[in-house]
Amino acid sequence: MGVVKKLASLRLTLAGMILLGALALIGTRSSAVDVGVTTLPIAVLVLNLLAAIATNRSFRTQTGLLVFHVGLLFVFVLVGLSVLTRFDGHVEVVQGGSFDGRDVEVTEQGWLYDGNLADVQFVQGDIQVDYLPGLIRQSTRSTIEFVSANGVPQRVTIGDSRGAEFAGYRVLATFNKGLALILRWDGNDGDVRYGAVHFPSYPQYDWKQVTQWLTPAGQQVEMKIDFAEPIVRSNEQWVLQQPQVAFTVRTSGTDMPEVVAYLGESIEVTGGSLRIDDLRMWMAYRVDYFPYLPWMFVAAMLAIGGLLAHFGSRYLPKRTIDKANISGVANACVASN
Amino acid sequence: MPVSPAIEAQLVLAAVLLLALASAWEAPVLITGRARHGPTLGLLGGAILILGVAIAGRWWREGQGPFLTFYDVLLSNVFSLAAVFLVISWRSPAVRIASLLVCPFLVVMGIWLLNMPATAVPLPATFDNYWLWLHVLSGKVFLGMSLVSACSSCILLCGGSPMCDNVIDAISDALSLDRMIWALFFLAFVFHSLMLVAGSVWAHSAWGRYWSWDTLETWTLITWIAMGGVLHARATFKNMLPWMGYAMIVVVFAIAFVTFFGVPFLSMGPHKGVM
Repeated sequence: MGVVKKLASLRLTLAGMILLGALALIGTRSSAVDVGVTTLPIAVLVLNLLAAIATNRSFRTQTGLLVFHVGLLFVFVLVGLSVLTRFDGHVEVVQGGSFDGRDVEVTEQGWLYDGNLADVQFVQGDIQVDYLPGLIRQSTRSTIEFVSANGVPQRVTIGDSRGAEFAGYRVLATFNKGLALILRWDGNDGDVRYGAVHFPSYPQYDWKQVTQWLTPAGQQVEMKIDFAEPIVRSNEQWVLQQPQVAFTVRTSGTDMPEVVAYLGESIEVTGGSLRIDDLRMWMAYRVDYFPYLPWMFVAAMLAIGGLLAHFGSRYLPKRTIDKANISGVANACVASN
Repeated sequence: MPVSPAIEAQLVLAAVLLLALASAWEAPVLITGRARHGPTLGLLGGAILILGVAIAGRWWREGQGPFLTFYDVLLSNVFSLAAVFLVISWRSPAVRIASLLVCPFLVVMGIWLLNMPATAVPLPATFDNYWLWLHVLSGKVFLGMSLVSACSSCILLCGGSPMCDNVIDAISDALSLDRMIWALFFLAFVFHSLMLVAGSVWAHSAWGRYWSWDTLETWTLITWIAMGGVLHARATFKNMLPWMGYAMIVVVFAIAFVTFFGVPFLSMGPHKGVM
């Protein structure tokens, strides 16, 4: 018990807090120290808090204070669980294409992450992004179609602060979007495939709509889109969406001269041909999985509720029953009877 | 009804002048030791009214609240700090003596505001979320309560100096003032916690993450830890002299002030839209 009491020391709390603040500052300012070092003082504070809840008598008499500290303890524990079970990634989905979990590039993944990206299924619909003069981005509208858990086809528009949820995953449209050529590959061996080639982010790189990729036959080709008229109208309000203006595609590659093709035309390349079927948009999504986040919010609000209750019990005037007044009233009642 | 930028500038100037008048009215307390805070609070109320018209007119004109630019932040904070002080003074006469410091502080912020470019920047669509409101409102209440607590602490800290004898004479009820200082500091801690939670929910929605250790977030956490540290220190060291507690409250307010008005100069990333 002596060790637990020592561990519950308020002086240790203060030392832990100072260390946490200092390491948070150092970890975020210095490239040599990772902010993960804050785990150490947080672990000390969690142990200190557990010991304090077990031994400190003031928690038994001050419910609000106890609720705050228990809430805080849960927040710490849930932050830890969230770090261990989190998933964060990003993916680009082309209009008319389906989300495929295998395309998701992982940004962060916890050791205990056990989600299944195959549970995320939707088809990308129309994409629209509003711009103000000066290329200031306003609202993003990305329509997605999916079949709900009870088998009903759904179509929802997400974007900005509204995401979509699938089996605990949150799919959030990002600022990143661009153009994609829909191509049909006709291999000399009879192989026919359809695919999308994504171009750099648009309109951020409207001056550089060029990309390189490998054909199914293994030839590296470079494709560049030229528009007959500009899409970006930087001096006025406009909406970015699937382009309806005429365009050509300049294609060059190893062992082939530059070829210019229009929509619907085919380009002969090594081992087959590429037909330009369409020009659409792609939308980049952030896909994250934080199963403990709602509970973290509940714990944080519980802690705040505890603080408020403690404030009320400590600083607000208490309503006390004026016994003298009551007995006076009672006497008056008796006298009148 | 929208207010033109020229009228808005005049309204802000008028409000700053009223705040300066309130400061001037309070100044004789330093010499006479007699305080009459009624006119000060009236002038403060006038300044709040004028700033409220300026904010509402700007809001109408720009179609968005005062959330984004440094001018917006200063304008709304001069308004909210004055309003929080006025409400607390109305409920608790003991803290009215703090107007001796609160009013000059607001004048300095007002002069700072007058020297900032007032051009509005469109609010990114991802920012438009109810959690932003709760985040900003709780932040303003936190800062307002911290300001009153810190200014009142400064007044009591002066008690140790012979130069401030007259100020001490003007304090109507030192015990009530001490109690209010700690009550406000504690309540500021509650609102700071709410600001952190609402900010995390908003950031998760707007930027896809609830915490990312950016400069502003780190300093906000340091402010929260410092506040918790002061409350713990008060509970731990029972023999701590009152002036130590007041000094710590002033230091915490200084950290909060740097977080609100200094750090955004270093790190504007989270406050700007991305193409």
